[in-house]
Amino acid sequence: MSRKHDVNKEIENEVYCGTLPVLPKERKYGFMDALLVLSGYCIATWSYTQGSYLATLVGFKQLLIGAFLAAIFMLMVYQIPVIMSVRYGIDIWIWLRSVFGPKGNKIVTIIIILVNFPWYAVCCELFADSMENLLGLFGIQLFDGAHLLLSLSCVIVGTIIALRGVGTITWTTRILVPLLLLVGVAVVVVGFTSVPMDVIWNYQPQLAGDADKTVNYVLNIEANFAFVITLVGGMAEVPRLCKSEKSGYYAGVLGQGAAGSFFVVVGAVMAIAMQYVTGQMVDDPTLMMATLSAPILGLSSLLLVAFANIGTQAVGSYIYGVMLKSTFKKVSYKTLVLVLGVYVALLCVWGKITEYFGSFLTIGACVYAPLAALLFVDFFLIRKQKIDLKSAYELPGHNAYQYSKGFNIVGIVCLALGFGFTLLIYDPIQGIVHNKILFMLTPTLASFIFTGLLYYLLCKIPDIRRYVRRDTYAGPDKRPFDRAKTPPRQNLFFLPLMWLLCKIIVSPYKLKVDKHNMEGIKPPFLVYGSHNSFMDFYVTPLALKPYRANYISELEGFEAFGEWIYRQVGCLGTRKFINDQYLIKNIMKVIKRGDVMVIYPEARYANVGTNSHLTPSVAKLAKLLKVPVVTINMQGNYLQQPIWNLKERKGARLHADLKCVVTADEIDKLSVDEILGRISKELTYDEYKYQLDNKIKIDDEWRAEGLHFPLYRCRKCGKDFAMTSSGSRITCKYCGDSYEMDEYGQLHSKSGETIHIPDWYEWQRGFVHEEIREGKYKLDIPVRVWALPNSVNFVDCGEGRFIHDNSGFSLEFDNYRSEKHETLKFPAKSMVSLHTEYDYRGKYGPCVTLSTYDDTFFIYPTDESRDVFNPTKIQFATEYLGGLYK
Amino acid sequence: METDKELESRIDQILQAEKDNVIPRMTKRDYIIAAIITAISLLGIIGGFFL
Repeated sequence: MSRKHDVNKEIENEVYCGTLPVLPKERKYGFMDALLVLSGYCIATWSYTQGSYLATLVGFKQLLIGAFLAAIFMLMVYQIPVIMSVRYGIDIWIWLRSVFGPKGNKIVTIIIILVNFPWYAVCCELFADSMENLLGLFGIQLFDGAHLLLSLSCVIVGTIIALRGVGTITWTTRILVPLLLLVGVAVVVVGFTSVPMDVIWNYQPQLAGDADKTVNYVLNIEANFAFVITLVGGMAEVPRLCKSEKSGYYAGVLGQGAAGSFFVVVGAVMAIAMQYVTGQMVDDPTLMMATLSAPILGLSSLLLVAFANIGTQAVGSYIYGVMLKSTFKKVSYKTLVLVLGVYVALLCVWGKITEYFGSFLTIGACVYAPLAALLFVDFFLIRKQKIDLKSAYELPGHNAYQYSKGFNIVGIVCLALGFGFTLLIYDPIQGIVHNKILFMLTPTLASFIFTGLLYYLLCKIPDIRRYVRRDTYAGPDKRPFDRAKTPPRQNLFFLPLMWLLCKIIVSPYKLKVDKHNMEGIKPPFLVYGSHNSFMDFYVTPLALKPYRANYISELEGFEAFGEWIYRQVGCLGTRKFINDQYLIKNIMKVIKRGDVMVIYPEARYANVGTNSHLTPSVAKLAKLLKVPVVTINMQGNYLQQPIWNLKERKGARLHADLKCVVTADEIDKLSVDEILGRISKELTYDEYKYQLDNKIKIDDEWRAEGLHFPLYRCRKCGKDFAMTSSGSRITCKYCGDSYEMDEYGQLHSKSGETIHIPDWYEWQRGFVHEEIREGKYKLDIPVRVWALPNSVNFVDCGEGRFIHDNSGFSLEFDNYRSEKHETLKFPAKSMVSLHTEYDYRGKYGPCVTLSTYDDTFFIYPTDESRDVFNPTKIQFATEYLGGLYK
Repeated sequence: METDKELESRIDQILQAEKDNVIPRMTKRDYIIAAIITAISLLGIIGGFFL
């Protein structure tokens, strides 16, 4: 009773470890242990079947290359992600939850088992054959149905061993594998002594008249790729118990690539010898041994190989049982092993598994190749060896891998396309080559490359990357953006596409561009533009046509659209309101190579459609570059999509004035103030005045929604953060004072007063200035901080403290770079303005950003500070303290 | 609930062990050796076409 209890407890522990991450102190295997267990898993009588199959395709030398080098090549590549199993003590199926989603992973697991587990039915069939042959040697004739009973007994014994857990399996394989290797050596000796050595060494198959030797060699490589890759599913159960990554990795490679392949070659040698002796190429290992070997050696070999089938069945049941357990957590391990046993038993009862084995194997490889590719690319290139384990185990509150109702559409689509791609190259059922060029890569390798490349490229698309990488917090990319990198010229192939895209986007808004003083102005020249909305980036290229240009963009745009594409359209990345010397150098490079440099000097979208003050540095840069200065003043862009409500207003109409304000001759003669005066004059704008003057009707019912962000102070009761907006109205939530926004952008009170929105906006600024002058201005609030180090990802820095007063900004938070709680100071005079968002990307809410050279910190209010956090007021204070407004 | 706590505790221990390099990692040298073995295997496979 006590022993039974101990065994049950051991099994429970093994299963427990089978689903949970195995702690370093619980690791059992060194390299040799892992090698023996994995060899036991790979060495099976199906290796002989594989060997005799290869002998029908190619000569012995090519067969050796296929069995060893092809196997090792594929194993070296696809086994390398098992280092993740060692590092985290998890099965690959836990990692694959991030690739397919938890529910997607369940489906993939079932598919894998359906296509893979028939291997074990073959084992049982071979066990029955072996026992029949063995008994036949003693002259014992069996009754009808004995074959089925023998194969079912293999299922039962294997299942019982599996139920006893990994400890029993370890001991079984420790004894069995060395003996099997000895048997293999003996069989090679028998094979080579039964026939002259050169018969085997110089063996060439008798090919049918239309057989292509190259195709056969590729099929030989493919068969070995498929042979090893179909073991992906079970491979990580053992490495996760290893004590070092290297031992786990090489045990996998050598367990299959050396021990497994050795038995394949043994099978081939015996098949060749049998053909030489009997004239028939037989793939039944027991028959081959009984015919070729000395009786006593044949008997013992036969017995060991027969029982090896039981060992294989047991190891397979254990590995796949745990694999299922990690996926179907609520079902007991015992039940799952029994279900697998029943599945194999049913295949044995069916009795045709050997006949259809080739189809199962090939179809299995079609699924496994893309699966292995997804694992490889995801581990090394997408997730960069970091996973959110808590989400992978679906702990409450950790939902990074839930994707679309539990399915990662990207992973599943890649798997399906990878499967389809294999079938486009080669039809495994009919044996027809559809594409000979890709076939030379072998269907498995071609599918591996195709799927890996597809997944990698898809994840380069920012929206897809964000969908797949919801776990960036687990292993964020912290490398700072390379500001020094020379910006490429706008891609000439992209340019027509870009113009076409711009044309399509602006077409509903009837863009009209007027050019002034532009005769004879050719690149290089400097363009200063007004900055109202993202529409500016569509209007400017059309206005500058036919010239290509480079644009300065905040790094956030690189993250949103992807660095590669942003560089192709000519963007220079920087951070706002820092002294970026690399940016100046890159601007000079652009001008020096004869291109157009476009800068939006306000460095922020207009909050209410009016311009910000410009600093003298704008004119100083122009003098430094010594090229003509052109301004582009765009009207309607703000009206089409104001920053406080990013819904597009279809009624907006666009207009742009392109004007040369300083010629090359004038640039040296004019003073900084004179140049600044000319630029500022041309970049003065008031979008609501433009709307009213041109009777541009914007009648969307929601046209005022969000207006309370820039207009936060009640005109009547004077309370800050008092306003709220809905439909076409903005209302004070304290005193009820309310204004209707008409279709031409003017506000009307109930008493008939008409308010010009920019007036209200500037009226608020005065109060902030007064607060500062009186020493009353201070913001000290809890915030949520996200850092943007590069174009790849944001890094969650958790909660922090944000202080703004007359001395400037102070941000206290957990700095992910130093891994310390730190305070960053931003002196008031170091920033003339501030980047603000009212509803970042339409879903993250209001925020402000502060930048260092290597990070942009996005600062959001917490629930506690939401009512007193207003980006507009913080911006007013920053601009006053920074000296932009006096 | 208890299982979740146990799991969370294990994950925290695993992550700490990863930080402390308790499980020896594959080194740059190991990766280079692996790449060389892979390349040799590939060359051997290509060579097989000429046999």
